[in-house]
Amino acid sequence: MAASTLRSTKGPADITALLGAFCFFLSAIEYMVPKPLPFMRLGIANLPILLAADLLPLPWYLALALVKVFGMSVISGSLFSYVALFSLAGTLTAALAMWLARKGFGRQVSAVGVSILGAVASNAVQMGIASVLVFGDAVRLIAPPFLATGLATGALLGFFAELFARESRWYARARGEMHG
Amino acid sequence: MRLKPLDIVIAIAAAGLVAFSAVSAYGTGGGQASAVLKGRGGEWVYPLGADRELRVAGPLGDTVVEIRDKKVFIEDSPCPNKTCIAAGSIDSPGEWLACLPNQVFVSIEGRRADGGVDASVY
Repeated sequence: MAASTLRSTKGPADITALLGAFCFFLSAIEYMVPKPLPFMRLGIANLPILLAADLLPLPWYLALALVKVFGMSVISGSLFSYVALFSLAGTLTAALAMWLARKGFGRQVSAVGVSILGAVASNAVQMGIASVLVFGDAVRLIAPPFLATGLATGALLGFFAELFARESRWYARARGEMHG
Repeated sequence: MRLKPLDIVIAIAAAGLVAFSAVSAYGTGGGQASAVLKGRGGEWVYPLGADRELRVAGPLGDTVVEIRDKKVFIEDSPCPNKTCIAAGSIDSPGEWLACLPNQVFVSIEGRRADGGVDASVY
């Protein structure tokens, strides 16, 4: 599957399927990395969504974000718990923030800025939900390390996405096909 | 690769948000340092000076929190990943432990009773 899919892209469905599979794979990698504190994530499973902001129309893009939420929740075992709500809200917020930044600012912003925006927006929304549902005012103590982690991991992920977009022939071909 | 001006604006805005949240979280606080435990049933405050074992009820069961030698740590938890146990112990105001699946939050608030200089004059 991989070889033929990498050779040609046939449209948004193919790209969504391939990037969705990457989301599953990266979610598994993410799950294996020890977390220094609860809530802290590298966010590498967001890489396909960051790349897709340049490729997919909004409905397919949101479908990819939902695939990522599903994959992450299945792998972490939180699908049928309220913890999945954090993943859903965080991922959809990050996806929409990154899509709006890409469409609104175009080439005036690189994947680094887009990624930082997505990570920080996602973390802010997750803290808002944690405040309402669980921890109340105590969330103010969680906020500094959580937001700082989002800034750092968002920047690193953005740098990697820029490099990938520049070097990958598959990505260049997919962009060419999607944008005519 | 070269960063775009908007990348820098976004990064600075995000750093400003981090700084603001840090000042809000750590910039205030008075009184003796104490352990604050929050669970589904309420909120409890304990002095750090007395060793004790505490149980906080959550949706998955009891999270066991221990205060020993002025440090606070989660001894046992019914959550699947045990990230809260792996986080280790806390002993300074502003530090926290959390178990999201079992909805338990432990923090140290107030001011450290020993160590550190509150004020000095010449």
